[in-house]
Amino acid sequence: MQCLVEVPVEDKRISLKEAVKLVPDGSHIFWGGFGFQRPPMAFAHELVRQNKRNMTIYTCGSEMDIDILSGAKVVSRFELAFFAIEGIGLVPNIQRRIKEGAIEIEDYSNLAMALRFLGGALGVPFMPLKSMLGTDLLAKSRFRSKKAHTMDCPFTGEKVVLVPSVRPDFSIVHVSRVDKEGNAQIDGIRGEDIEGARAGKKLIVMAEEIVDTEFIRAQPDQTVIPNIYVSHVVECPWGSYPMMVYNYYDYDMEHVRMYYDQCKTEEGWQKYCEEYIMAFNDYKELLQKVGIERLLKLKAKKPLAY
Amino acid sequence: MAKKYVEPEEFTTLELMAVCGSKQIKNGEVVFIGTGLPLIAAMLAKKTHAPGAKIVYEAGFIDSNAKDIALSIADSRLGYHAAGAIGLIETLGLMLQGGHVDLGFVGAAQIDEYGNINTTYIGSFEKPVVRLPGSGGGNDIISSAKRVVVIMMHEKRKMVKKLDYLTSPGFLDGPGARERTGLLGGGPSLVVTNLCQMDFDPKTKRIRLATVHPGVSVQQVVDNSGFDLIIPQNVPTTELPTYEELELLRAIDPKGIYIPRSK
Repeated sequence: MQCLVEVPVEDKRISLKEAVKLVPDGSHIFWGGFGFQRPPMAFAHELVRQNKRNMTIYTCGSEMDIDILSGAKVVSRFELAFFAIEGIGLVPNIQRRIKEGAIEIEDYSNLAMALRFLGGALGVPFMPLKSMLGTDLLAKSRFRSKKAHTMDCPFTGEKVVLVPSVRPDFSIVHVSRVDKEGNAQIDGIRGEDIEGARAGKKLIVMAEEIVDTEFIRAQPDQTVIPNIYVSHVVECPWGSYPMMVYNYYDYDMEHVRMYYDQCKTEEGWQKYCEEYIMAFNDYKELLQKVGIERLLKLKAKKPLAY
Repeated sequence: MAKKYVEPEEFTTLELMAVCGSKQIKNGEVVFIGTGLPLIAAMLAKKTHAPGAKIVYEAGFIDSNAKDIALSIADSRLGYHAAGAIGLIETLGLMLQGGHVDLGFVGAAQIDEYGNINTTYIGSFEKPVVRLPGSGGGNDIISSAKRVVVIMMHEKRKMVKKLDYLTSPGFLDGPGARERTGLLGGGPSLVVTNLCQMDFDPKTKRIRLATVHPGVSVQQVVDNSGFDLIIPQNVPTTELPTYEELELLRAIDPKGIYIPRSK
């Protein structure tokens, strides 16, 4: 396509392997996606393959992706609001790692976490909200010396809770499409990714597809993360499999159920990890194992988004 | 025309619970829904008495008209004919905390006599026996929605005198406590279980038996509750589902994902 205006376009593309190498042990990470929607699953697999340790993850609600990170002992701390494998049950690996003392969790509500990311992105140290009042979310903390604070509003006297902003080392989000410069568009719901993406000191954007810059600039109103925030871009089709990406593909519940059943025991988890993560050099090999026929069945059937 | 009710042996308890939940949704209301039974209840309400209800899912789907059953509150299925697909700050922040949500539905692993809810830990905070999913948007919803319906199973270990962990605020320790604490919403209005429906005594803010499901005795409810609930002199039987409601319900969840067909 002919560029109408000549502007220098920086190429921020790197491979998934290179991107994960940039994240050192002990990093604090904003983890994107919400529930079954757009989790950075391929990134989780690569963190496991590179044997990363001691990460702290910040998110609202995540599921199989963070259960894998817990099983493989990549993560030692979470600050979040929710985890489960919805429609199936509790997260099996996290359950076990908590009992072993390998994982600690600081609990907030979903709105509290989303506001903590907004606060981080805005460059202010805290955000006020009207949730958590009167509960153990406010009264009990696991490892933070100061988890939240109640005060009377200096203007109205009304009671508010203050929650500390989050500025993690990295933000990892998986989006629908991005250009090589990092202008990202998300179809469907965005969960807390708009704020979370901007909260990190470095932002790595994974995407289902990399599109020409002209394509983005022809519809700039669809861009939800402009290039200014973005450090690196990683092309990663089917990057949320076996979860879902709006307009791209549905979840593979057969696989998720198999994962859940198998991970009820440590041996079962080890077997899954070996067979579906460690056996591969990269994520594309997992997709090969799943097979083209199954993937085509999961492809979104327009005009539906799933 | 008189309503035609279904005989008790023809429906399951879960079906009755879904119908009870559905009746709480008024036409035109803005309603926060999670997955499971509330999702079915909302879909039923839209097909019966409340076609104009605006169903909102905290992940960002707004005024959703899903035709297929969703497994996740972020499920793409919920985007079907939705008015908007935005995000959490929009739904839980601007919409809910901003005061636009009439009714919310939440689940509970434990509830106490003031309607306070635990969805975080079973066992002590220091040494938990089970780690549950956590608040999610539950705390936000029950903090700020005008009314909240709790849907849960009725067992002694779930209806407790003291919660293992207070995740979401009911009426805290009684009358006036929500106001003193600074909470915006009206608190829980109804608890729907597999045995009965319970509301809250306006004076004491304690749970009060409202109706018992067909075939369930008041004593059975008492025996399965770990706290003393208020029992009025007259406890009517829960209104039975109509043939129309039951037929619609089964068409909404044909595969029995949330409501298995057999008892």
